[in-house]
Amino acid sequence: MINNIIVAIIAIIAAPIIGGILSGIDRKISARLQNRYGPPVLQPFYDFFKLLGKQRITVNQTQMVYVLGHLFFAIASLVMLVLGQDLLMLIFVLAFSGISLIMGAMSVRSPYSKIGAQREIMQMLAYEPVLLLMVVGIYLTTKSFMINSIFKHETPLIYSLPLVFFAFLYVLTIKLRKSPFDFSTSHHGHQELIKGLTTEFSGPQLALIELTHWYDLVLLLGLISLFFANPIWVGILIALGSFFLELIIDNISARVTWKWMLKATWLIGIGAAMTNIIWLYLKA
Amino acid sequence: MEPYLIIAAILVPSLSAALCYLIRKAAIRNFIVVLTSIAMFAVAGGLVKLLMESGGKLTVDFEHMPLDIGYIIKALDFCLFLYIAYIGFRFRKPLVIILTMFQFVLWFLFEIYGLFGTVHEPVAFVIDYLSLIMVLLISIIGPIITVFAIGYMKEHEHHLHLKISRQPRFFMILFVFLGAMNALVMTNNLSWMYFFWEVTTLCSFLLISHDGNSESVRNGLRALILNSIGGLAFIAAIVVIYTAKGTLSIEEISSAQAFASSTALLPVGLGLLCFAGFTKSAQFPFQSWLLGAMVAPTPVSALLHSSTMVKAGVYLVVRMAPAFSGTLLGKIVAVVGGFTFLAGSALAISQRNAKRVLAYSTIANLGLIICCAGIGSNVALGAAILLIVFHAVSKGLLFLCVGTIEHGIGSRDIEDMQGLMRRMPFTTVITVIGMISMLLPPFGVLVTKWLAIEAAVDSPLVLMLIVLGSAFTVVFWAKWIGIVLTMSYRAKYNIEKLPVTVKGSLAVLLLAVLGCSIGIVPFFNSFVKPQLMQFGILGNSRLGGDSLGLHLEGMNGALMGGFASILFFAIVIVLMITIPAFLRITKPESVKQPYLCGENTAEMKGLEFTSPGDKVEPVVVRNYYLSGFFGENNLTLWTNIVASAIILIMFGAVIG
Amino acid sequence: MGIINKSRIKSPWVIHYDCTSCNGCDIETLACLTPLYDVERFGIINVGNPKHADVLVVTGSVNKRNVRVLMNIYNQMPEPKAVVAVGACACTGGIFKECYNVLGGVDNVLPVDVYVPGCCPRPEAIIDGIVLAMAKMEEKAKDMKNTSDKATELKPGDEKKSAG
Repeated sequence: MINNIIVAIIAIIAAPIIGGILSGIDRKISARLQNRYGPPVLQPFYDFFKLLGKQRITVNQTQMVYVLGHLFFAIASLVMLVLGQDLLMLIFVLAFSGISLIMGAMSVRSPYSKIGAQREIMQMLAYEPVLLLMVVGIYLTTKSFMINSIFKHETPLIYSLPLVFFAFLYVLTIKLRKSPFDFSTSHHGHQELIKGLTTEFSGPQLALIELTHWYDLVLLLGLISLFFANPIWVGILIALGSFFLELIIDNISARVTWKWMLKATWLIGIGAAMTNIIWLYLKA
Repeated sequence: MEPYLIIAAILVPSLSAALCYLIRKAAIRNFIVVLTSIAMFAVAGGLVKLLMESGGKLTVDFEHMPLDIGYIIKALDFCLFLYIAYIGFRFRKPLVIILTMFQFVLWFLFEIYGLFGTVHEPVAFVIDYLSLIMVLLISIIGPIITVFAIGYMKEHEHHLHLKISRQPRFFMILFVFLGAMNALVMTNNLSWMYFFWEVTTLCSFLLISHDGNSESVRNGLRALILNSIGGLAFIAAIVVIYTAKGTLSIEEISSAQAFASSTALLPVGLGLLCFAGFTKSAQFPFQSWLLGAMVAPTPVSALLHSSTMVKAGVYLVVRMAPAFSGTLLGKIVAVVGGFTFLAGSALAISQRNAKRVLAYSTIANLGLIICCAGIGSNVALGAAILLIVFHAVSKGLLFLCVGTIEHGIGSRDIEDMQGLMRRMPFTTVITVIGMISMLLPPFGVLVTKWLAIEAAVDSPLVLMLIVLGSAFTVVFWAKWIGIVLTMSYRAKYNIEKLPVTVKGSLAVLLLAVLGCSIGIVPFFNSFVKPQLMQFGILGNSRLGGDSLGLHLEGMNGALMGGFASILFFAIVIVLMITIPAFLRITKPESVKQPYLCGENTAEMKGLEFTSPGDKVEPVVVRNYYLSGFFGENNLTLWTNIVASAIILIMFGAVIG
Repeated sequence: MGIINKSRIKSPWVIHYDCTSCNGCDIETLACLTPLYDVERFGIINVGNPKHADVLVVTGSVNKRNVRVLMNIYNQMPEPKAVVAVGACACTGGIFKECYNVLGGVDNVLPVDVYVPGCCPRPEAIIDGIVLAMAKMEEKAKDMKNTSDKATELKPGDEKKSAG
């Protein structure tokens, strides 16, 4: 019990640091890919602290509640990951975190943030089934929903779940809001929806959303490493490799429409995951 | 003691029904309604106590009664046929008459003439935990909604400008219905169950067509016809099962060993029973009657068409589940339910009418329950029973909320609910909690969805249906919650003026929603778990409850999955206390308008902007409804065709 | 507070508003984003949303039609914030100064922190201007603590009368 609490606390403290550095590296590498010099690696932290120090403005008094919900449930799902809890429930809790942000964006009377929220809902519709199918695939391999049992499994999951892994990489792009699926809250410089989902969040609220994003990043990379768990360092290396792959995709692709995304994700993502699951089912 | 309590559970509502109809004074009638509610709570409490003491099964026989109840029921059955035929005659619907005729002929040949052998009456009433859970739902949610109806119907009739109040008739039918439901879930005699089944069908018709305009009559007749098809399947099932097994005892038919000594006929009979359950629970392709039923006054929608009557169908399927657990029939039933879950959730996305969204969501959840019953493993049945409870409570609450909102703003359109927080803060907060309880952890509905997915892992098709369906669910709830929560800074809240009965029943149901979800473990351990033991289904996993939440364990005792929902609740409650405190510290220094590209007008809320030519225009943003994808015009036909095909496949498989 | 103040200087997020510019200054401003000048080196990002921005970059002279929008954008920015006037028109009104509908430079309407002269200024000068504005942030953050919110909210009609 004490052990668990210590692990959880370490994860809660370490995750944003790792996540922040990773997004710093992200920006640096993106800049280099575009033949630019790029910001310092610590730039995300500068942005974060600057936002914390800004004036606290708001459109309505409930916005902060949703932002905190977004943050806390992301933390909760990370804690569930490090403690090796039920993977399926982890996905649901993560969805709660996403819905909290959507509710926050819809609670203000701003067209931009509302349209952003609608698009975010569409993104959820696209990635949620794939995440759930990933969990099922893992169950069919390890015969358990607990993350702990993945570490006890002898062979890495990737041997039996290659297509599920591919589908997960696919939806990772959506979940990280990378191009070509970055339309609910756009990247810097893309401004056709102002900032979409996050338009009406500013100062400390935006800082917390950024913090949550770091938690999400670490959580998702953690989920990737599960596929290669045992030994864990291989998993971490592969996770970092996947992250690099996402960066390349981000930089070489143009944005698509949400309809295209929905069709493509359901066809490719769910198709791949389902194919994999059916063959596991037939093999058993 | 037991017989009296059971009779009380049936007769107290029936007696009140008669009183409500006879006494024309509103004040006295309201008093009777409240009194009956308390009596029904007491009866339900008494049954819980008795069942706990008896160790899980109450068997009550009426053989020593001076009067044979069987004959009374036969006589009433006959009257019922006559009355339904009369309805068909009066509204010129030959289909109703024909269906009733068929039922009558079969019933007559079976019960009176004895063509299939003399009928042995089984033990009259057997109450186990599943029946008890249903009785609790009916006798707790039912009266609460009836009390709500006191305030609601007054307002409703005020809107309709009625000269003579039709409330006596309304409350009579409500109470008859409650009595019939109680009897339906307690009886052990399949042919008695059939009688009560038909009573609920009739009540449904009478209540849907209560307002008496052409639309409500039309929808009522549709409900009557579709449910009569189910009734026909039911009586056919009775005949087939009796021929196959020689018993009408539900207990014997549904025991897990029934298949071991079965003839080829028994699966057909069970298939027919499931079919009857599908019609009553409005599974695709029979969903249209439940959607049409939304024209009825809100208490009717809440009571009959979400939290209790449609539960009769799923109750029957869950009750029979051990008999077809693991068979081909079970697998196909799971597909039917799973398909309904998917199709219902998808269609709900395109709906703007709040009541229709709730209706589709109800259909979808009933589908999930039937799907779990079809899967038939220990975990799946646990999920089915839990979902019956959670869905009934949450959906009862949500329907009442929508009814209240409708009276408040005069519209059922979700888009009209923007800024509801300012106009109806009390109702809005309760509505949002109700919606969240349908959607998000750690509330019960999500826990059951989680269990359903964990139970469905062994059949890819069903799994696929549930997974996609649950993604759709997120979409329509999230959109709606977002609309309702839209608000400006420090809006001037209205103080809502609601009748005390309306306010009270909303509050009580809200407490019930929270209580069920927080108390999920004790509830599971004392009611659901013993029932699962009685079902006696072995599988490779089983459901357990410990101090922190539910978990799955393998037969070797290894933990396969679990969720500490209680811990989660504790965290949420702590957050609910700390966040306001935190917000007080970090109070915003300044309130700004929403960003409208610099074109805001002087008002602070961001409701208007300056358009070209200095015109001031309102800001209008609507949700996505994706009717191009999920519209009823696109989907209904195809879903009906697919669902019919699945049901045909089911019969083809069990007969062949 | 040390780390927050340090971060303020290193992370200027910019919103760029074009009042009545001939677009020469706008082109130069956007040129800063190109790989050749790469303002992201300094953490500068063009966010296009006043609620996220620290620096308001204005090009062109202010006229009677757009002063309302300019002030609205400025008012929606959270404190501490800075205004950079880019180009001759934004600094003084430029060649449009005498027009019947022009109010003059941005400083007639908003408190300008940095003037970047030129017609049009070079990208290096614009970047320099933004970085200079960030250096003033620490001071502004102190002011933010002292002044109440009402004082910083500007309303149309508050502007000084045009010198012309």
